[in-house]
Amino acid sequence: MNNDFDFKPYANESDVIRIGGLEIENRVDRVSITGDVVLTKDQTGLALARELRTLLRHIVKSLEAEKKLPETVEIKPAGEVDNPF
Amino acid sequence: MVSNPKLQARTREICFEAFVVLHSGVSRTPLYAAEHLTRENLKQAKVLPRKDSFHAEKSLPENERAELDDYARSGYDRGHMAPNADFANKTAQAESFSLANMVPQIHANNAGVWAGLEGTARDMASAEGELYVVSGPAFLGSKLKKVGNVMVPTHIWKVIYSPAQRRAGAYLVVNEDTQTYETLTVSKLEKMIGVSVLPGLSQTVRDAGMTLSESAAPPVRKPKTQETGEVVQKKDAITPKKDDTVQKKDDAGSGGFLRFLVQLIDVIGRALKH
Repeated sequence: MNNDFDFKPYANESDVIRIGGLEIENRVDRVSITGDVVLTKDQTGLALARELRTLLRHIVKSLEAEKKLPETVEIKPAGEVDNPF
Repeated sequence: MVSNPKLQARTREICFEAFVVLHSGVSRTPLYAAEHLTRENLKQAKVLPRKDSFHAEKSLPENERAELDDYARSGYDRGHMAPNADFANKTAQAESFSLANMVPQIHANNAGVWAGLEGTARDMASAEGELYVVSGPAFLGSKLKKVGNVMVPTHIWKVIYSPAQRRAGAYLVVNEDTQTYETLTVSKLEKMIGVSVLPGLSQTVRDAGMTLSESAAPPVRKPKTQETGEVVQKKDAITPKKDDTVQKKDDAGSGGFLRFLVQLIDVIGRALKH
């Protein structure tokens, strides 16, 4: 596996990486992947596919390593305030 | 320019390299972000850097700014007002990840209809040569949701002004799990949100509206109106109903997501072998 891969899934709220047109956003309770990517049958496609595989492997690994992975992630309920505006 | 005096409290203007934000220390969000898109800059913006980083806006006082922790585990996206894909160079790109440019936004909305509108603005700027775009949140109704110290907008809007057509119009999206938007005139939007968006424009241009492009990216489904100047009187657009949108997003459960990931790795793995 790629050793210089420094995106640690679920480790922080700040990292953003891109693979092709995909934008991968790190959060402590989720990793969101948006956009699209085309894996062409050429060297570029292969490089992108490998990056994607590395990313997903890291994600699966960290999820599998969780001792108590909940069925559904817990969300902090939003508060409610009087509209100051 | 704020026309509702209550919005004026604790505001600060922040000039980034490629966009300007009026930030509210009350909502701890921008009230708007303004950009000037040009064909040339968008050409350069096609190649985005490999990495970026969401960050709190350190130029704001601590008691006015949003922190990454405010958004953590909230279920909300950090929704860009000035989108990162608009910017040509690294600094501007990186600055667009400041929380001073973010509002809590429902993910499906951010990744769907809103991303489509951002793409529409870029397409229009590329086709016409330039475009002025102002985007921001609206806080309507008597109660607001709050995540950490950050207020959740009920709506998100985008105003565009085309110098080529000398026309301006606005898009309005409810901050819910929706894929629809409304189009309206700048003056109607300004009245609704309490912000004078493009104060330099004549009243005639603000009242006239424009035919907004429908070349919006695929995620955008049927628009409510095709012609501006007409606000569709959709009641829940003004008074968002209480909902459980945030919770709903996680219905699939982590088990389902994990299975999906494993399948995806499997597919890529197989593709790599061939």
